[in-house]
Amino acid sequence: MAIEGTRTNSSSLDEAVEHLKEAEAHLEHAREDEARAEREVKEAIHEIEETSQRDEVDVHVIHVNELEKATFKEKIHATLQQVWDKSYKELKLERKQKDVFQTASAQPKSLMGQLQLTLEQARDRKVIENFHFGIASETGGA
Amino acid sequence: MAQIVPPMPVLDIARGIASLDEDIPRVLAFLGKTAIEELGWQRPNKSSLIVPIHGTLNGVTESYVLRLGFAAYRKWPPSAQFVNPGTLVYAHPVDQHHLPIVTSPECHVHPNYSAANGRTLQLICCSATQEFYDTAHPVEPTLIWSGQNTFYTTVAAIQKAMASFYGGRFAKP
Repeated sequence: MAIEGTRTNSSSLDEAVEHLKEAEAHLEHAREDEARAEREVKEAIHEIEETSQRDEVDVHVIHVNELEKATFKEKIHATLQQVWDKSYKELKLERKQKDVFQTASAQPKSLMGQLQLTLEQARDRKVIENFHFGIASETGGA
Repeated sequence: MAQIVPPMPVLDIARGIASLDEDIPRVLAFLGKTAIEELGWQRPNKSSLIVPIHGTLNGVTESYVLRLGFAAYRKWPPSAQFVNPGTLVYAHPVDQHHLPIVTSPECHVHPNYSAANGRTLQLICCSATQEFYDTAHPVEPTLIWSGQNTFYTTVAAIQKAMASFYGGRFAKP
C-alpha cells in the first residue's frame, strides 16, 4: 500500500507540474497578445494623429484696420465662415457688424459670397490661392 | 443709424509727419516687410506717400497711383488722391483718365466733386480720407475716423472697394 501511495503522490505532482507548465505557457501567450494589442493601439493612435495632421492647414489672418495678425491650424474641411468666425478669437478682436472677410493681398478678393465653401473646395475651385485671409471693417462713403 | 457731420480737419503738418514716421514701421511690421520699397511704395517728401493700386476688370489689370498726404494725420485720415504717375499730381480734366471708376457704397471716386463751399476737387468719398471730412459729408458716428487708425486703413478701404466695385478707367478728355 505504501508503494502504491507513493506512486499516486508522485503522479499527482507530475500532473501538477504539467499544469503549471501549461499555465505558464498560457501566461506567456497572453503577455504576447497583450504586447501585440498595445502595439496595435499605439499604431492606430499614430495613424489617427497622422491623418488628422494631414487634414489640417496653417491659416493666416490679418485685420487690416487693427494691424493685427494671427496664424492657426484649421481643418481643411472647415468652411470659410468657420475660419472667419475663429479668426476673431485668434486675433482677440470683436466682430463688427459690417466687417467683411476677404483674401489677403494687394488686390483683396471678397469671400462674402463663398462663405459656405470649405477651405479645400475654395482652393480647388481657385476662389483662393492660399490660406491667407483678411478682415476689413466698414467705412462710410457715397 | 442717424448720421452726423463731423468737424472739419485741422491741419498740423509737423504732427502729421511725426505720426507718419511712427506708423510706417508699424505697418511694415504688420505686412512682414522692412522697407516701403518692397511694397512698391515711395515717400517723395516727408508728408506724402505714394501707393500703387490695381484694379482688374474682365481679366484686364490696370495700375493707378494713389498719393496720400499727411497734413492732418493721425487725428484725421490722410488725404487721398489718385494722381498722374508722371507728375504725381492731379489736374482736372487732363488727368481724369488716371482715376479708376469706383462706385462702392463705402468708397466712390469723383473726378471733379463740387463741394458746398464752391470748391471743386477730386474726391475719394470714403470716411478713411481727409477730403471726406473737408467736404462735410454726413456719416454714421461709428464710422468716423479714429485716431487709433493708421493710413493702412485708408489703403485697405480703397483696395477693398477696387476689388469688388472697380469699373475701369475714366475716359481720357
